Amino acid sequence: MSGWLGRRKWITITLFLLPTIIAILVFNVYPILLNTYISFTNRNKFRPNPDCSVTMTGILDPLCWPKFRDNAPKGLGSPYVLQDPIFGNYDTLMGKLFKPEALLSLLFVALVFIPIIAANYFSKKQERKIDKKITSGMVWILGLLTAVALFFVLNLPRSINELMATGDFLTVVFRTILFVALRVPITFGIGLMLALILNSENLPGRTFFRVVLFIPWGASSVAILMALVWQFLFRQQGTINQVIAFFGGTGPIWLNNPVLAFGVVVLADIWFSYPFFMVSILGALQSIPKELYEAAEVDGANWWTRLSRITMPLIRPAVLPAAVLTSITAFQMFGTAFAITNGGPVRGASVPGATEFVMVYAYKQIFQQQNYGTATAFAVLIFIMLFVATLYSLRVTRITKGAYD
Amino acid sequence: MKNKTKPWVRVMQYGILIIAVVFAFYPVWFAFLASGRLGDRLYTLNLGGMFIPTQWTFENYRVMLFERPFLTWMTNSLKVASITTIASLVVCTSAAFALSRFRFKGREFFLVFLLAISTFPGLLSLVAIAQLLTALGLYGKHLGLILAYTSGTLVFSTWNLKGYFDTIPIDLEESAMLDGAGPVQAFLLIALPLAKPALAVTAILGFMAGWGDFVFASVLVPAPDSMKFVVPALYSLANSMSVPWGYFAAGAVIVIIPTIIVYLSMNRYFEGGLTLGGVKG
Repeated sequence: MSGWLGRRKWITITLFLLPTIIAILVFNVYPILLNTYISFTNRNKFRPNPDCSVTMTGILDPLCWPKFRDNAPKGLGSPYVLQDPIFGNYDTLMGKLFKPEALLSLLFVALVFIPIIAANYFSKKQERKIDKKITSGMVWILGLLTAVALFFVLNLPRSINELMATGDFLTVVFRTILFVALRVPITFGIGLMLALILNSENLPGRTFFRVVLFIPWGASSVAILMALVWQFLFRQQGTINQVIAFFGGTGPIWLNNPVLAFGVVVLADIWFSYPFFMVSILGALQSIPKELYEAAEVDGANWWTRLSRITMPLIRPAVLPAAVLTSITAFQMFGTAFAITNGGPVRGASVPGATEFVMVYAYKQIFQQQNYGTATAFAVLIFIMLFVATLYSLRVTRITKGAYD
Repeated sequence: MKNKTKPWVRVMQYGILIIAVVFAFYPVWFAFLASGRLGDRLYTLNLGGMFIPTQWTFENYRVMLFERPFLTWMTNSLKVASITTIASLVVCTSAAFALSRFRFKGREFFLVFLLAISTFPGLLSLVAIAQLLTALGLYGKHLGLILAYTSGTLVFSTWNLKGYFDTIPIDLEESAMLDGAGPVQAFLLIALPLAKPALAVTAILGFMAGWGDFVFASVLVPAPDSMKFVVPALYSLANSMSVPWGYFAAGAVIVIIPTIIVYLSMNRYFEGGLTLGGVKG
């Protein structure tokens, strides 16, 4: 903008950005620094207090700052010190991963993904060719079959079990990734199906359906309360089991069975999140010109061809960012699992439960076990993962594109 | 398409829609039914009562409204969420204005830095934030929670508003500046009124973040009862064995129904496609 130049412009910019900068520094940057520092100490419920004579503690822990010392709780317990060895907390979380057997298992798991990545690459290459001796669909089927074959040949379940035994970190992350891998595609499928139906013209009652199907999104902002309602539905005497009893069966105790409890959490989270996909796909569908479909129909294209050749490619730019962002949010899901199962069912003490996803694990470590050292180390590892994922997603979705000009 | 939809397609479409409507609506309907059920039972043993109201009483609502500190919780939540919304709007509008209307060194860096910082999940920074608030003497006080919420909404709101400001042509402001207004004045008088929809969406999403939050509220203000907020208070009510579930259901309905209505009335804004709004859900 023209207007002010030079010093006056800089003063204006600084003044307008200052509140944001201060807030970000105090409540975002500083907590990350303190968190990282604590992850190298043995702070837990028996050692909650800072030892202000240690230089780094004196600088970083706010309770050591001269002005605030009076506010420090005068609790019992001894001061925390740096771990010896310094990576102690990280070692408990994932140290066993670096043994040869575990690394071999990790390699096996990675090997299974190679055919899928290759299929992705070659199918794109095939698409560009004019004479398609092999269709891209064939490439995909071939890649997936190889992946499934490798899954059994390499005995992947054993490798995964071995990896899970290396510590809480991989166990929790694996389960969370499994959750995301189930939840996001199913949500996308449901959203796409409903959006396609709602987009068909002269459908009587369209507004009514749109409004009712949108309800779960509204409820998702008080997710923890609605998740409790879902828990009630699946209790031993809940609606679901009553319906089963009505038809003469006996319902299982849903939330005591690891697999079923996992399913219930996925189902409830789908309920919260499908309207988002539905709405974004609906928006994208409405921007596709009708003439394209008419032309395709003249050429005799059937329903499937129209979906795969017109609809899907054209909604891709709008839906891809939504899918990536949803995956990142799903990875950080907390309320649904916490309210429904509280992370359980648990097999034994000090083993993460079947639905103890990343955030639930962190919450329990911090506020129930008060293992601050381990919990903060876990936070650092998760931060690195999310950071990489977000950078990648920014590249894929180009959300920042056009933000700089 | 011009040709009429085939009847069997229609039937299938309605079949899917009806299943989806039952799926979407039943949990809310269930909470509503439970809130009007007599006694301390959440379930009736006759199956019909699970789907249609076979009995109805306002007893649970009466107890919640007049014998529990429910209204205090509501007031606390409304207060904190409103102040958060206003504070975050003021801070973010000013930052978004600077980022949208001025070109300066470090601008791109700042924008990406905001996004990068926001990948650190709020829940995980709670240890540090709780300690910081303890040091400041704000732990267990509403002000501390307001500060934490406000900084939590900053990144999303700033990006969202900046994106919308960018779509407002700067020419309008420039012509106002020719008439003697300064950049800030021109922005306030010309661009801000045009940005009302974006401001409304940002405000409501910011409000909802504070209104529905469980983790920060339950950790940073753990006690006493009169300081608590409605969502964590209802959660602990539902988890205590001695309290009838009907009370929880009544409270939950009072909280959930207005929330849903606000979202439904925002429907058309959401469909416009808030790109970053995708962060939610």
